[in-house]
Amino acid sequence: MHNLAGPLSQVASSADVGVPAQGPAWASLIVFLPLLACALCGVCAIVPAMRRTKLPAWITVALLGVSFVLTVLLYQDVSAGEHAKTVLVTSWEWFHLSWGDAPGQQFVASFGFYIDSLTVLWMLFVTGLATLIALYASEYMSHDVGLGYCRFFAAFSLFVFSMACLVMGDNLLLLYLGWEGVGLCSYLLIGYFYNEAGAVAAAKKAFIMNRIGDLGLALGIMLTFWHFGTIQYAELFPLVAPYVEALKAGDIGQIPLVVQAIPLLLMVGAFGKSAQLPLYVWLPDAMWGPTPVSALIHAATMVTAGVYLIARTYPLFAVSELALPIVAWVGTLTALLSATIAMAQFDIKRIMAYSTVSQLGYMFAGLGFLTSTGAAFHVFTHAFFKASLFLCCGAVMHGFAGQLDLRRLSGVSFMKGWGIVGIAMLIGCLNLAGFPLTAGFFSKDMILAEAFVTPGPGYALAGWILLVTAGLTAYYTFRVFFRVFVGPQHAEPGDEVHAHDGHDAHFHPHAPGWAINSVLAILAVASILAAGTYFIEKEQHGWVGKMVHGSTAAEIVVGEGEHAVRAAAFRHDLVGEHAIHGESHEPAGDHATPEEAGGSSIAHGSFLGMDPHAVMYYVSSLFGIAGILTAAYLHGPRGLFGLFIGSRTEAATSRADALVPALGPLVQWARHKWYVDELYDFLIVKPLWVLSHIFHLIDQLLIDGLVDLMGRLPSIGGRSIRPSQSGVLHGYAVGMASGLAFLLLLVWLLTL
Amino acid sequence: MTGVIDQIGGMLAQAGYPAPMSVLTLSHYLFVSAAMFTLGMVGFLTRRNLIIMFLCTEMMFQAAGIALIAASRFWLNHTGQSFVIFVLTVAAAEAAMALALVVLLFRKRESLSAEEWAEMKG
Amino acid sequence: MIERIAWLWPEIILFLATCVVMVLGVSPRLALRRQCAFVSGLALFLAAMVAIATGPMATSPWPQMVPFMKGTAGFVGLLTLLVLAGTVDREVDRDQELGRGFAALRANRAEFYAFFLFSMTGLMLCASADDLIWLFLALELTSLPTYVMVTISTRRSRSQEAGVKYFFLGALGAAIFLYGFSLLYMGTGSTDLGAISTQILAQAEGGAINDIAMAGLVLSLIGVSFKIAAVPMHFYTADVYQGAAASVSAMLAFVPKAAGFIAILLLVSTVGWQWGVADTAGVSLGAGHSLPEPVRLLLWVMAVFTMTVGNVLALLQRSIKRILAYSSIAHSGYMLVGVIAGPQGARFIDNGVAATLFYLLSYGLMNVGAFAVVASMEHKGEEADDLDALRGLCRTRPWLGWTMVICALSLLGFPFTLGFFAKVPLFTSGIAAGEYALVVILGINSAIAAFYYLRLAALPMLEEPVGEAPALTRVPARIVAGVLSAGAALGMVLVAGFFMERAARAAVPGLFDGTHASQSATDQIARSGERRADE
Repeated sequence: MHNLAGPLSQVASSADVGVPAQGPAWASLIVFLPLLACALCGVCAIVPAMRRTKLPAWITVALLGVSFVLTVLLYQDVSAGEHAKTVLVTSWEWFHLSWGDAPGQQFVASFGFYIDSLTVLWMLFVTGLATLIALYASEYMSHDVGLGYCRFFAAFSLFVFSMACLVMGDNLLLLYLGWEGVGLCSYLLIGYFYNEAGAVAAAKKAFIMNRIGDLGLALGIMLTFWHFGTIQYAELFPLVAPYVEALKAGDIGQIPLVVQAIPLLLMVGAFGKSAQLPLYVWLPDAMWGPTPVSALIHAATMVTAGVYLIARTYPLFAVSELALPIVAWVGTLTALLSATIAMAQFDIKRIMAYSTVSQLGYMFAGLGFLTSTGAAFHVFTHAFFKASLFLCCGAVMHGFAGQLDLRRLSGVSFMKGWGIVGIAMLIGCLNLAGFPLTAGFFSKDMILAEAFVTPGPGYALAGWILLVTAGLTAYYTFRVFFRVFVGPQHAEPGDEVHAHDGHDAHFHPHAPGWAINSVLAILAVASILAAGTYFIEKEQHGWVGKMVHGSTAAEIVVGEGEHAVRAAAFRHDLVGEHAIHGESHEPAGDHATPEEAGGSSIAHGSFLGMDPHAVMYYVSSLFGIAGILTAAYLHGPRGLFGLFIGSRTEAATSRADALVPALGPLVQWARHKWYVDELYDFLIVKPLWVLSHIFHLIDQLLIDGLVDLMGRLPSIGGRSIRPSQSGVLHGYAVGMASGLAFLLLLVWLLTL
Repeated sequence: MTGVIDQIGGMLAQAGYPAPMSVLTLSHYLFVSAAMFTLGMVGFLTRRNLIIMFLCTEMMFQAAGIALIAASRFWLNHTGQSFVIFVLTVAAAEAAMALALVVLLFRKRESLSAEEWAEMKG
Repeated sequence: MIERIAWLWPEIILFLATCVVMVLGVSPRLALRRQCAFVSGLALFLAAMVAIATGPMATSPWPQMVPFMKGTAGFVGLLTLLVLAGTVDREVDRDQELGRGFAALRANRAEFYAFFLFSMTGLMLCASADDLIWLFLALELTSLPTYVMVTISTRRSRSQEAGVKYFFLGALGAAIFLYGFSLLYMGTGSTDLGAISTQILAQAEGGAINDIAMAGLVLSLIGVSFKIAAVPMHFYTADVYQGAAASVSAMLAFVPKAAGFIAILLLVSTVGWQWGVADTAGVSLGAGHSLPEPVRLLLWVMAVFTMTVGNVLALLQRSIKRILAYSSIAHSGYMLVGVIAGPQGARFIDNGVAATLFYLLSYGLMNVGAFAVVASMEHKGEEADDLDALRGLCRTRPWLGWTMVICALSLLGFPFTLGFFAKVPLFTSGIAAGEYALVVILGINSAIAAFYYLRLAALPMLEEPVGEAPALTRVPARIVAGVLSAGAALGMVLVAGFFMERAARAAVPGLFDGTHASQSATDQIARSGERRADE
């Protein structure tokens, strides 16, 4: 066994992670401009003349836009040259408490930013999408101009600030600040319509579920500090490196249990924030928030924070025996479960919510299958297409007075002024369904292939589950599309109809305006172009792959030219998959011919005897297209694009309805979300309710009097000494003099 | 007469006190100043006239002054004496302020009693 | 002696400004008189900056505390000045604007601002005191002007009642600590704090501290506790705060309190935190990390009673000013915990004195906001002081309402407000010093405080407005002060580390290293540097 200090210095020198350079100071503006926007929205709320305008929206859009432009500049700064570099930008020292000079005797948490390509990747789509969605929201929220409008955009900007802290922070405490910040903003925005009981309940649910996760995260951070003595990434990663080296040498016994426990705790936080089993139930309910919020926070950015956390602290996860397999399996099961629920829902926004949970499951599975590239790529493509899907749903909801039931809408694309929405929806659906050559196809494929490549506990089975889930995804996605967007034109307004015109006899859907349309167009185009990034820097699994591998976290796990020396059976592929930017990189990522792949020194897993990388394209296409065809058969309109397999001539669908009885109770169960909410209710809420009644009884019988007394004691005490404040000068003087005498006597008697 | 004094002196000496009238020690001054301080405080507590109450606090100040001068002599430095000068100055400033205040209050209530002023309490 | 002038530039600046203000304030021209506030503010700002730039004062028992406290005094004073603006002479000014001429005899702007500046000068002089005479004069200079300010702050008889109570009880308190000072001098032979320290340590090594010196120290501490409104010297607080204009109360809650805490720290530093608690004699030197037992016991009892009495009495009040007054008593009790814990431990969170200093700064900032809200509301031409005035304030007067909410939560020590970051070090330093009982009492008291602070926060935020909204004062500077204060209560959290670092540095005592003592004392007393060097 090596001396642990040896590999440390070796890694530190080879990967040059010891001292990241100072970055450009303006990078902190990316974080603080959204905060400024939040403050300005607050100002707008106070000044009546500004409150009545759309000014908060324009302020937010402008400042977030500048933030995005700065991020692009930062990207160019960071990715200039052969390898992406890591820089630190410190705004100020937040906490610097020291009780000695030795490492571990200082607690340092600066308000500083750790910028590498992973950070920039995340920030690019966070700021970019936030700008676009803020623009969309300027129109979407226009019914609410006034205090609510200011509140919305203030919380929106605050969210972007928190997210930026989370992503860019150079230490775990700042990440935690951002983590709590996005949770708070999510709470505020879900409960935006605070007059509706459902929204308030949903906000509370989200908050509580997230608290459970946050507890895990907080404990993980404390444990990290306790063991490593630092929470700064730049110092932490070199300290983890020896353990990674020990792992590579096959000496798992060298790794203390504490280190193995840290990722498990961090993982709980990630599960909460990213809505994975068993903490996923808050996300569908979060759809009570305004749709732009659902698109940005609950589809594109905040929910991917869990993925970011794991990707950022990948070295920590890599050294744990349990963490990554758990991540993989939880992700897989979440993907399957929520996809089945999505199949039976009627509310299109809710379907999108479940599909988000399901796609997050894919990302987690990807992380578990040791392809952080695949996970990050899926985050990236998903951010675009899911945002555009949500915004399309939002446009429908906005235009049809809150109508979201797919049974009551049909042929929306063909209505006047809805063309762009229809096309954007189609592009989004194709992406989500994993239609060949779309961005969603490539990113999902990368994860699926890796399931069969990576040896792990039942990973091949997980791969099959995910393949089936891909088919289900394609089905429920196109179920929405065929039902709502094509077919005979039909629309029933939702229950917000009175908001538009006084009498609901003549309901006119109002088509989206320029802001919504342009944002949808941009997002649709972007989600097509996202596929192109796969072909840039192809040898590194696409542009995203390059970005992920450029990050310091990946560098430590990988090292250069390391991948031939593996002993630990499970671990070797961890490094194999990631040893991509060394010269010895083998062409697995190219999905080249089986001969080439087979010729490499590493034994891959196989998919039915074939190289997964080579065949996964075709297999997943098959599943995706099968799903789409099923949806077309069951829900498609008659004569659709010459396919002629659909039967629908009106809003209702006879074929699908006929199928329901045949499936027995399954449909009913799926429709009720597998009764998970009820199960939680039965397992947690009910026992608590019973317990609380028992305790209440005990309370009333025994403790109440005592507690009551305790509660009243202060005010009883107050009443009893209140006469001392008689208001008379002499009373006070006597009080002072006797107090003086008392104290003197006390000191004299007791101590002298 | 002398005999009585000697007798008392003997008793005090037995109790550990220095002989009276023979040597004035620091303790004597300390007793005097403590007595003045206590008298001042008792006066402050018992009298209701604002002016007399103020004079009582002045007496407490001067008690401190006596202690300071005696200690100054005892330690053979001048710090205590210079302290007394400052104490007197501050006392004068306080006196000026007190008189102004008393005049203001007297105009308002036509009385110098401190008990007139007990509107706020609790 | 002359080199001390170099450390006194802030006070000199303030004094010069006082002279200017006294002249400006009696000018018959309204525009000139209105410059009083600007001149005062400028002088405070300059003084604070100069103090920070001057750096540590070598002869002080707390060399680094001098710039820290002067800077704190300057900036909190600046915030207070914003609230104080427009307290006096409103009718005189209005008459003059209406063309009725200038009634010179009724105008008292000159005195008001001059006395404010005098009081601030006194506070800064307290910070640079290294001698009992100096300390006595500085304390008196801090308090005497405030007696007048209370009395003239409004024309109501309540202000005069507050003035009479404050003045007479203040004189009694001053007499007590003056007598304490004289006994301290009698017991040690010097008024120089460094020499006193040396002498006391020499006495302790020779057997025990001189009883007279110890009695003097105890009396001084009790007397000075009048300034911080600690039990049993707290009786005046509520009546005075209620009777004075809210703006003046805002000042009373910080300036004399800061001076009092500086004085306590200076006095206590003469004995230092280097005594064993367990020792039966209670005065054995170098055995532990606590104050000598008589002083520790005294401060302990005072801290416990001060916290508790302040909090339980605040529960029963309906007047906002009285609530804040009683809570200011409680806050003094909290800060005494830090004094008892003392400056040991290299970590900020173990250093009680640093915690006290940081708390003083935070308390000063938050407290101004709460008083500024009261000072900004008017009801029938008088301050709207009743709790009902706060109902629904967030809706009717959002700036004031949210200021009150934020300041109340911060004063309560609500997580992620400034008050929280200020209070936690008090707890941790208490634990580090082994004062577990005290920390438990501190915790209980924080819980009691939640009752009334949450009421102050909930009334504006959650309740419906009752009747018409309170009218706003004509002095917008007060609202600005409130908002700044609320902003500080939230924003300072982000840079708390910076100020904690400063506080930790300020809390390094200069007496313990044995290098500081006046020459005359060194001649008399054999030095015992070795035993104290380990502290």
